Order: sequence, then structure tokens, then C-alpha cells
Amino acid sequence: MKNITYSILFLLGILMVLPAAAQEPLNPQRKQAVDSLALEKVRDLSKYITIIGSKDTPWSEANRVIDRAEELFMQGSEIGVSSLLRPQIAYYGVRKYFERLMRLNYSKVEIQWYKIDYVSDLQRQPDGTYVGVITVFQKFKGYNKEGRLVYQDTTKKDITVYVKRKETQIGGRLVGFWDVLLGDMRVKETQK
Amino acid sequence: MRKYLIKLARIMVFILLAGITFGGLSSCQSNKKLAKKQAEAAYNIKVQQAKKDLIAMLNGTTDWTMDEQFKRLDTIKSYNIDDQQVKDLIVKVEDKLTTEKAEAERKAEEERLRKEEAAKKQAELAKFNVINERFAGIAHAGSYDEADKEISLALNFFATPDVPVLIIIDQVDGVNDYDRPTTAFRFLNYLKDIKSYNFAVESVKRNTEGKITELELIKK
Repeated sequence: MKNITYSILFLLGILMVLPAAAQEPLNPQRKQAVDSLALEKVRDLSKYITIIGSKDTPWSEANRVIDRAEELFMQGSEIGVSSLLRPQIAYYGVRKYFERLMRLNYSKVEIQWYKIDYVSDLQRQPDGTYVGVITVFQKFKGYNKEGRLVYQDTTKKDITVYVKRKETQIGGRLVGFWDVLLGDMRVKETQK
Repeated sequence: MRKYLIKLARIMVFILLAGITFGGLSSCQSNKKLAKKQAEAAYNIKVQQAKKDLIAMLNGTTDWTMDEQFKRLDTIKSYNIDDQQVKDLIVKVEDKLTTEKAEAERKAEEERLRKEEAAKKQAELAKFNVINERFAGIAHAGSYDEADKEISLALNFFATPDVPVLIIIDQVDGVNDYDRPTTAFRFLNYLKDIKSYNFAVESVKRNTEGKITELELIKK
């Protein structure tokens, strides 16, 4: 009976300590490293998008890069597509978005991302995931086979980022790492 | 009359001798006093100089090296000056110099170890130069074909293309923070896509054939 009482008290103690530990904030140096890592993933995505969109990229390479780009996203994430030619914004699943991007009906496509920065700092959620929003500006240019610029726009997009501390076994030891995943990419505004 | 003259001469000789004796004695006594005074003055100067030097050493206002300070302290101690202030100062200065010497020795040892560690790390990094250069070659390849050739060559470093690659994003208190682990093949292709190599090999694990079985990189 005494043992059961102690066990219950011990469990209660753990239950009281765990939420406090989960709320423990990151020290500034670590926070900066995690912030940079998430920004780096968005920059990686921008390079993947440029490769996938480019008509100079071999088909096999574009497909390989689509696989890598898809891995950056959480399952079920959506990417918004806007156009100056229509008012509505269409949302596609990540894979579908990249496949459409690869097959765009232009002879040459130039996509450039710039001003990649946090619009909302990473905030710790009750489950220990850090969630933030990164804004990017995308300049899109489409050329016809004569090499004439036939469409261009600049789109401001917000990307939700999720960062979570995880652990995995490598070479018989437990390795802690920061897993960065991108969520929905929403179109905020589109201009010429 | 002659008898009287002889007596007078004896008295004169006696007076002369007494004069010489007492006169000489008095002169000797004043010389001793003078010498004593001179010795006392010299001693006082020595004591004052000792105090001045000890205070300077205590306050750290002297230009002397640590060895020179210890030498001076030993000299002052050898005087056996019977002065409480000097005795107290000697204890304090000795304590201060001993502490400073120990601290200097500790710092010198730390510096030696730091240099040793840096040299060791430099030697290790030099060992990794071949790997770093190969990886940079992939990132800076001019075409997909060229990059693929570089990837094939780089894969020869690894036991298998699935060897884990860990990327350190930060080091806090000796603990590494990593990015999501990847594999050699995926990492090399990543370099091809991103077209930049902002990493350095931090450590490698090899099998008996010398092939890499685990690679740890750090972000630069």
C-alpha cells in the first residue's frame, strides 16, 4: 500500500514537472541557430523551385528535385497559385504544384525568390513544436519560343514553418536533431 | 733644585700622557657614535626602500618581472628587518606573488593546451581537405554531367551511398544540435542542387577498409 502511494506521488510529480520542461524556452544562441535553419530550408525550396521551373533542367533531374522539394513539406500541405489573368487563387497539393510548375506552357521560365524573412517569429506551441511564418517575394517570368517575355508577376507568399526537436538512432547512439517542415504556402498579393 | 726639576718633568710627562690617553679616548668615542649614526641612517634607508618596494609589489605598480619581484622579496627577507610593517608586507607580498605565479602558470598551461588542441584540430582538418575539396567540386560543377561525375568520385569515399550524414547547425556547451540526418547520396545531390558548399567536415568514422561509415559536417 505504501509502495503504491509512493508510486502515485512519483507519477504526479512527473506529470507536474513535464509541462514545465516542455515550456522551457530555447537559449538565444540555439534559437538563432533554429531560426537560421528554417530560413535555410526556405532558401533551399527557392532553389528547388528555380530548378524545377527551368526548361533547361533535364526531366529526370527535375523529377529527382521534386522528390527532394516534396520532403521539405508536411504531408497535406498546399501551395497557392495566383495569376494576374484571374482573380481567384488556386491551391494545390505540394507534388501537384511542382508537377504543374515543371510543365508550364512557356519556352523559358525564370523564377527568383527574394526578401526571404520571418514575418512571425517561431513560437513554441504546447506540444513543443515551434511555429512561425516566413514571407517571400517571388518574381516569375515566362517567355515564348521567340524568347519574348509574355508573362511576369511578383507574388508575396507566406510560408508556415514547423520546427520540432526529434531523436533518432544513428550508429547505435541517440542523435537529437531539429526537424524543419514547411506547411501551407499562401499567396498574400500578386502584382505586375 | 735638581730634584725639584726631575719631579716637575715627571709631572709634565704624566700630564702629557693623561692628555693623550683621555684625548684619544674621547675622539674614539665620537667616531663610534658617528659610525653608529651612519649605520642607523643606512638601516633606515634600507627599511624605507624595502617598504617602498614591498608596497609597489603589493599594488602592482612596479615594472619588475615576476622573477625580479621574487628576487627582490628574497633580498628584503634576508635583511631580517625587525619592523612589524615590513614583516606584514612581506607576508602579503609573498602571498600575492605566489598566487600570481600560480595563475600565470595556469594560464600558460591553458595556452599550451589550447595551442596543442588547435594544432591537433588543424592537422585533423588538413586530413579532411580532400573530402571538403571534392564536395566543393560538386557544388561548383558547371553542368549536371560534371556534377554527377564529381558525385561518383565522392561516393568512393563512402562505404555505401546510404552512410548517415549529420549536419551540425550549432554547438552549445559541447552539445551538438543537428539538422535532420541525411545520407551520403542525398547530401551530394543536395550540393549539386544548391550549388554551394558552406560546410566543413567535423569528424568521420571509417571501416577497416578506410571507407567512411558516418560523416559529421558543420555549417560554416
